[in-house]
Amino acid sequence: MGRSLEDLAIFVGRRLLQLVPVLLGVIVLTFLVTHVGAIDPCPRWYPKAGAGTIAHCEAQFKQPIVTQFLQYFVPLLHGSWGADEFGNPVYPQIVAHVPATIELVLASLLIMIVIGIPMGVVAAQYSGRWPDHLVRFFYLSGWATPTYVGAIVAAIYVARFVGLPAGGEFSAPPPFPQYTHMSVVDALLAGNLSYTVDAISHLVLPASVLAFINMGIATRMTRTSMLEVLPLDYVKSARMKGLSNTVVLYKHALRNALITTTTVLGVTAGGLLAGTVVIEEVFDWPGIGQYAFSAMGAGGVPNFDGAIAVVVVFALGVVIANLAADVLYGVLDPRVEWR
Amino acid sequence: MATGAPRPPNRARGYSAAVGFYRIMRSNPLSFAGFVLVVAILVLAAASTLDPRLVAPYGASQQTGVYSEPPTILRGSPSLQHPFGTDGGSLDIYSEVMLGLPLDVGIGVLIAGLAMILGGLLGLVAGFWDRPGTVGGYASTVILRTTDVFLAFPSLILGLAIVAALGPGVWQVILAVTATWWPYYVRLVRGEVLAIRHLPYVVAARAAGVSEGRILVRHILRNVLEPLIVYFTLDIGTVLVTFSTISYVIPQGIPYPPTFGRPEWGSMMSYYYGNTLFSQAWWSIIFPAVAIFVTALSFSLLGEGLRDVLDPRMRRALTESTVGHTPPAETPSSPVPGPLSEAG
Amino acid sequence: MTDPVLSIEHLSVDYLVAAGRFRAVSDVSLTIPPGRVVGIVGETGCGKSTLAQAIPRLIPEPPAKIESGRILFQGTDLVPIPHHKLPMVRGTGIGMIFQEPLNSLNPAFRVFDQVAEAIQIRHWREQGILPTFRPGPTPFDYSRRPMPTASDVLAKPLVPGGAVAEAAQRRLRTRADFRREVLEYLRLVRINDPETILDLYPHELSGGMRQRIMIAMALSAKPALLIADEPTSALDVTIQAQVLTLMKELIDEVHSSILFISHDLGVIAETADDLGVMYAGRLVEFGPVADVFHAPRHPYTKALLRSIPSRYKTDGPLASIPGSVPSLARPPPGCRFHPRCPLVRPVCRADPAPELLPAPGGAPPGATPHTSACHFAEEVSNLP
Repeated sequence: MGRSLEDLAIFVGRRLLQLVPVLLGVIVLTFLVTHVGAIDPCPRWYPKAGAGTIAHCEAQFKQPIVTQFLQYFVPLLHGSWGADEFGNPVYPQIVAHVPATIELVLASLLIMIVIGIPMGVVAAQYSGRWPDHLVRFFYLSGWATPTYVGAIVAAIYVARFVGLPAGGEFSAPPPFPQYTHMSVVDALLAGNLSYTVDAISHLVLPASVLAFINMGIATRMTRTSMLEVLPLDYVKSARMKGLSNTVVLYKHALRNALITTTTVLGVTAGGLLAGTVVIEEVFDWPGIGQYAFSAMGAGGVPNFDGAIAVVVVFALGVVIANLAADVLYGVLDPRVEWR
Repeated sequence: MATGAPRPPNRARGYSAAVGFYRIMRSNPLSFAGFVLVVAILVLAAASTLDPRLVAPYGASQQTGVYSEPPTILRGSPSLQHPFGTDGGSLDIYSEVMLGLPLDVGIGVLIAGLAMILGGLLGLVAGFWDRPGTVGGYASTVILRTTDVFLAFPSLILGLAIVAALGPGVWQVILAVTATWWPYYVRLVRGEVLAIRHLPYVVAARAAGVSEGRILVRHILRNVLEPLIVYFTLDIGTVLVTFSTISYVIPQGIPYPPTFGRPEWGSMMSYYYGNTLFSQAWWSIIFPAVAIFVTALSFSLLGEGLRDVLDPRMRRALTESTVGHTPPAETPSSPVPGPLSEAG
Repeated sequence: MTDPVLSIEHLSVDYLVAAGRFRAVSDVSLTIPPGRVVGIVGETGCGKSTLAQAIPRLIPEPPAKIESGRILFQGTDLVPIPHHKLPMVRGTGIGMIFQEPLNSLNPAFRVFDQVAEAIQIRHWREQGILPTFRPGPTPFDYSRRPMPTASDVLAKPLVPGGAVAEAAQRRLRTRADFRREVLEYLRLVRINDPETILDLYPHELSGGMRQRIMIAMALSAKPALLIADEPTSALDVTIQAQVLTLMKELIDEVHSSILFISHDLGVIAETADDLGVMYAGRLVEFGPVADVFHAPRHPYTKALLRSIPSRYKTDGPLASIPGSVPSLARPPPGCRFHPRCPLVRPVCRADPAPELLPAPGGAPPGATPHTSACHFAEEVSNLP
């Protein structure tokens, strides 16, 4: 009842509509922070510029706020997101950088799901005993590690120890055209096996570090939900059918525990996206994070328009992840009605 | 049928909470370690603030001007006299780390505390006075929408944007991280308040004519305080990590050598990472990192232990005396979502 | 077959929690012959649920611990069996139905999937694909109405016989076969038009319906022993009556033994053949249900029966038992009931209560002996 495919479309559609005010809020808040709240922005954003550019910048900031907002908002909608100090437009740069980050984030998610969720199940199963303590220590350590520390340690020490490369997407420039800008996907599409393996080996370390740091979110939520689910009667019913412990845990209990785990997908996405800023910088991964890192002025040349655009794009990513979490929750929990 | 001996009187609740706390700390090696470490950190921080020479033998921070003795080895990898090495100049890394301890811990506590107070108050308003059609309801909607927008930004990104807008400096970064953290507390407190508001005994109190203020203080605040403390403790560590990451990304974020009186660990790391070859002086980068890690981990361990203390199921199992206890299999198994269930 | 299906010998189950050690079940011994319904009655907290869930080793072993005793299921002691082998006993050996129908069906799966899963496991065990506790056909001939099985239907028109027929029998059944069998079991539990509920989720059904489905799930495994842990306690009275009627009719049709746990004396009186009374973790009386009701031999049973409100007695206060249930961590010395017992003597405080003692003169041959754990069982009949 209320769970047919048309109902699902309405469900997703309604959630999409709820996106819009949040997106507007994001755009407004970004504007407020960067334009209204900015203290003495011009010399800092254009440190190497001449007096003419600075004067032009100051003139822009002296305009009434509404005008500034319109100057900011309208081009945003059109897709002309400004340019960096050398005049290169921001929008195509961002579009070129996004797929690599998507690839990195998806790989990290995969690692978090494959390793983190079973760890949470084991921790709940042996709650209070040493496997539980070990799992908790593991994910608490991940949380306590600053991203750059983990990235640097991994890039310098672990890479040498394990023999994995620690920089860039490929060892050598790929001989095939890159349609999707996702290294593994492009290599697969080109049918080039050695480059696919190379791409995967380059992806492993950054994705692992990102996953390690954020593993706690998924593991802790899984552990908590499993602890709530395991004493319930239907788990005992499943055992009394004669099912093995593994089937009881992973088919019956986890299926219900995962429902609440999806609710933290939004937070997970936020953490993963934030982590890409440093990870991509350390591992020389050509994604949005690296772009953001340089736009914020770390490389010495900040990029005002680029920074704004990047902030909005990151927020967009989190909002989309929350939407996905909401839809996933509605799909997994049969008690939720879609209409 | 009679059910057993009477419950312990209310004033014994504090005692049984303390007993429970001790039992949890003892039973769970992780939280015990966290507790011990946090106490040690706080003691060291106090010592470092009051008399730096106690913990920082070569304290050479220019502002504190604490030169007990100049370092004996100028270019130094870790050794007996300089356990964390020196930076090749006049600074002993160990002393720098120890001098920075109260600063970083203080920053973590400050940010988490500010976020807790601000977010908690807003969450209280959004939860307690959220009735449709009233001023409170309208204010709640505004608060919630704003919170949603803030939550759409990953913490680091918003922090970077704010620092980019406000310019470098410790207070700017503190403000930035606080501004990204308060929304989580709004969600947490609002969720708790809503859940407690609808509990039968609160509804009964209201029906009996108890004034709103009394309900607020006696029932709601007391119950909200527990998860709040847990999250506060957990957050101290995470806030510290975020703070140091921001100061790493924005290289002029917090200058090092310090102008704030004491070295901040993240700024130490970013300074040395930019200015020394990693292979030549890895200790100047690794040890502040270890300090951040250990501090954050200790508070997180303590927080997880506190969370176990406050989980009603575990609390009952560990603190209830042997009077009239019903074994677990007999209690009805329908799950009631408690106010202490996992928030966002 | 005269070997008992289940024989519990001096079973003690402890809970070890940080606050202390609770002995939830204390030296309980009872026997369940094949085909009998044995009821266990007692107040909340007397250990009956612990006993019920300890038999198939369902209670998580870290807080719980079987301190001593044997649980002999069809002659094999279940206590020393390691955990990973226990699933073999459950399902086709021992089945269980629970109290809260809302929680005993998995909310994420449809009715069809849940019942079909139980049938699938039984089918795999019959075919030898899965290891089972007792190899060979199911221990009991389930029903007087033989059910059509897929292999019967398949083998007849298509296959001549011999090795090919055996191969056809081993073929995994299709979804349609499962559907047929699920529907048969749902009809068995008196669900009309079971086709309509196959695709529904548990939260879309009423409590009585869910309870029937749980019974169907348990019975579809054709267990030798069915443990019913307060199956009607969470239902309202009219549904309770329906489910009880169903269970009584099933008992006639099904040859499983049933261990029926309840706190409701009326429910037990209707369904059980033998009755055991538990108090504070001990079995204090055991015997044929009519004997226990009409001539109880333990002061607690007598007091319990007396406290049932009668619609004929409309004046005077309700009778109750003075005092309260003792803590299981620090039970009273000697007989656990002695602080509240009208027949208390010094020996009751000093010596532990005796093992269940039969009445002098023995029981009629073939009947269950009526035993009581009281030194002064004969005087109980003199109590008001």
